[in-house]
Amino acid sequence: MRTLLRFIQKYSNLLLFLLLEIIAFTLIVQGDSYQKSKIVGLNRQLSGYAYSRVDGAREYFSLKQANQQMVEENMELRNKLELLSSLMDSSIVIPEFRKPYRYFFVPTRIVHNSVYKQYNYITLDKGKKDGVFRDMGVISDQGLVGIVLESSNNFSTVIPILNRDFKLSVKIKSNDYAGILQWEGGSPLYAILTEIPFHVNVTVGDTIITSGFSSIFPEGIDIGWIESFQLEKGNFYDINIRLSTDFQRLFHVNVIRNVRREEQLNLEGQTR
Amino acid sequence: MYIIIRNIARFLLVILFQVMVMDNILINGFMIPYIYILFILLMPFETPRWMQLLSGFLLGMGIDLFVGTPGMHTAATVLISFVRPYLLDLLSPRDGYEPETFPRIHYYGFLWFLKYTLLIVVIHHFVLFYLEVFQLKDFLSTLLRVILSSALSASTIVLSQYFVFRK
Repeated sequence: MRTLLRFIQKYSNLLLFLLLEIIAFTLIVQGDSYQKSKIVGLNRQLSGYAYSRVDGAREYFSLKQANQQMVEENMELRNKLELLSSLMDSSIVIPEFRKPYRYFFVPTRIVHNSVYKQYNYITLDKGKKDGVFRDMGVISDQGLVGIVLESSNNFSTVIPILNRDFKLSVKIKSNDYAGILQWEGGSPLYAILTEIPFHVNVTVGDTIITSGFSSIFPEGIDIGWIESFQLEKGNFYDINIRLSTDFQRLFHVNVIRNVRREEQLNLEGQTR
Repeated sequence: MYIIIRNIARFLLVILFQVMVMDNILINGFMIPYIYILFILLMPFETPRWMQLLSGFLLGMGIDLFVGTPGMHTAATVLISFVRPYLLDLLSPRDGYEPETFPRIHYYGFLWFLKYTLLIVVIHHFVLFYLEVFQLKDFLSTLLRVILSSALSASTIVLSQYFVFRK
């Protein structure tokens, strides 16, 4: 017993060191449950508030560019409006219009963003109070951004394409073949499309859009285009995607609310 | 007492500065200066070992909580606060460290401080970046990031000694 005590006394610093490292590594290994824990949720409130303070300054410097983006989006919407009103004029009743709409958008501002890590996250300035909840899609006017991970009352965190945990079903626009989009670290400009079988005709420059096979995103949201591809070992292509969203210059994004999401998930749950 | 208060204030300051300013700096999409370990570098020589370890742990936890990473910064900071006394022994001048001095440029000169900073920064960044990737697949590109970021962090820390912590 005494030898044990003496041992502990002699190596107390080493033992403390090992204990602290074990705690740290336990956290690393249980990364996912850590992300959902209470203390991280509490901190999300706190850091969200702090980030939104700092971000005021950052936003000021990029006003010009944000303005430009708004103008472009405005133009696009005006064109669509023109098109629609010309359809209305000819007094054709389009049956689509009678249906209640299925998706609507919550405009939000990014208060914190990172692109250079392996696991990047984005913080938005809207949360449960504004109807932003877990598993909602996030897009910008340039294309797809990510999926809401967690939300508190006033803030929410998003897991963007630029995170090694991100996976999404997408398809090639020209031939409708669906594959899995993911990111393997490295450049924030490119992502990887896998599980496209070798017999599919792939061309450089083909557009990649969301497949609509989930309740998160509607079909046809831009993701990027094919930059290069190769047929590596086996039956699937390795396709390099140039992302259409410029994550380094992102400020305003929209969260997609799917009105019929519960209904779809309920039905799918019952079927299983 | 005064030293304790000063260290607590420094603890909070480096975390805030790291998260608010440094995390927004991004060079080449690759390099990011982690200067919060400045706190560990500047701890007085006589700090008890257990206190060094615990403050390293708390510092890492603080950064982890803010950045949202699970335990990676903690693992790296605990390691450097454990090896710091050994490194200080290794780098000690011929007649040891004098009492009433701190590990600063002001007392031990530029070259000594640069060596000391580089050693600790490289160990910290090495552990941090490989834990972040958690695999050996991109060994070389990660190593490049370790080297570049270490150079950036170390030079920022050394420069800060001339501008912020002059006395």
